[in-house]
Amino acid sequence: MNEIVVLSGKGGTGKTSITASLAVLAGNEAVIADCDVDAANMHLLLNPDFATTIEFYSGELAVINQEQCTRCRKCEDACRFNAIVYLNKKMQVMPIDCEGCGYCEKVCSPRVITMQERKSGNVFISNTKAGSKMVHARLDIGAENSGKLVARVKNEAKSLAVAGNKLFIIIDGAPGIGCPVVSSLAGANYVVLVTEPTMSGLHDLKRICTMIRKFRIKAGCIINKWDLNEEKTTEIKQFLHDQQIEHLADIPYDISFTKAMTEGKTIVEIQSPNREILDRIWNDIKSQLQN
Amino acid sequence: MKIAFTSTGTSWTSLIDPRFGRTEFIVVYDEEKKVISAIDNSKVKNVAHGAGSATAQMVFELNPGVLITGNGPGETASNALKHHHMKIFVDAHDMTLKEAYEHYKNGKLKEV
Repeated sequence: MNEIVVLSGKGGTGKTSITASLAVLAGNEAVIADCDVDAANMHLLLNPDFATTIEFYSGELAVINQEQCTRCRKCEDACRFNAIVYLNKKMQVMPIDCEGCGYCEKVCSPRVITMQERKSGNVFISNTKAGSKMVHARLDIGAENSGKLVARVKNEAKSLAVAGNKLFIIIDGAPGIGCPVVSSLAGANYVVLVTEPTMSGLHDLKRICTMIRKFRIKAGCIINKWDLNEEKTTEIKQFLHDQQIEHLADIPYDISFTKAMTEGKTIVEIQSPNREILDRIWNDIKSQLQN
Repeated sequence: MKIAFTSTGTSWTSLIDPRFGRTEFIVVYDEEKKVISAIDNSKVKNVAHGAGSATAQMVFELNPGVLITGNGPGETASNALKHHHMKIFVDAHDMTLKEAYEHYKNGKLKEV
């Protein structure tokens, strides 16, 4: 079984559109994982049925025992997030503002504040329209993505792939280079980089490449919307060449990307010149994994 | 010498955990005493952030001569581990601990 992680560094390069297209091309040979949980949107394109829901707990929340609280207000002073307020003659924790740092617990002299695990969202296991299983998540208001959540989503996907004897796990990674991205790379066999010919596209591509090198994972790059800035595209190609990263394909800017998205479809499901390119990319990735 | 593994289980037949920070267990094999012991890493596994450095701390305390893991550790944990004299061998994922240990003994694992 092979784990393929799609990453971009920069947001808005077309990463999710391309991941969803690969997911449709892979059909039931793959399990899909959406690890871009801060902006989870692959479900819009793959039409999952939310068959199973699992509650997800991450981080902590301060809880005050109101019966024993002396209203000394030390916690209110200590909290740098202003998450504890005196309201209705009670010290109250504002869950959205509480970062779970535990400082209030430390300063509370009657010792009536405890830090409790907080529910931060749900993990779902779904069946997609492509015939595959998909693991995805939805965060509660104010909750953030974390390495822990990504590890959870990936581990669920891995168990499903092992149980169903699948060939691939296709993972939509988070943007940036932070904790969730590091977590999505653990155990990966191949990274598909999606970039665009802009200054920030190249800058963030460089950062993500430094990270991938650290994990010694084989990578290939797609330059999306390549014809919008041919000069930058040339620069990116040079960079890929210097870094010995496979240049998978150039995808021209095409309005069909947007059109497909507004219809809730992937590019490979509509009439588009890009369909053929994505077909070729998927075959290319598969043959690289066999080598 | 003590050899530490990131592991999905507690025995020789367990698979190597590809993750460093959020590994399920750290298994230590003491070559002199010929004993294997496992440390449950679930506390670190469940922190939202900073798992890499927390596991690095744990490894420091165990003080092994060799660490065998998957495709981690990441940037922060690597920088921390550099300050320890242990040797780090990687890319042992998809192997059982036994296989990984034999690969290491035969010089077939990659050192970083």
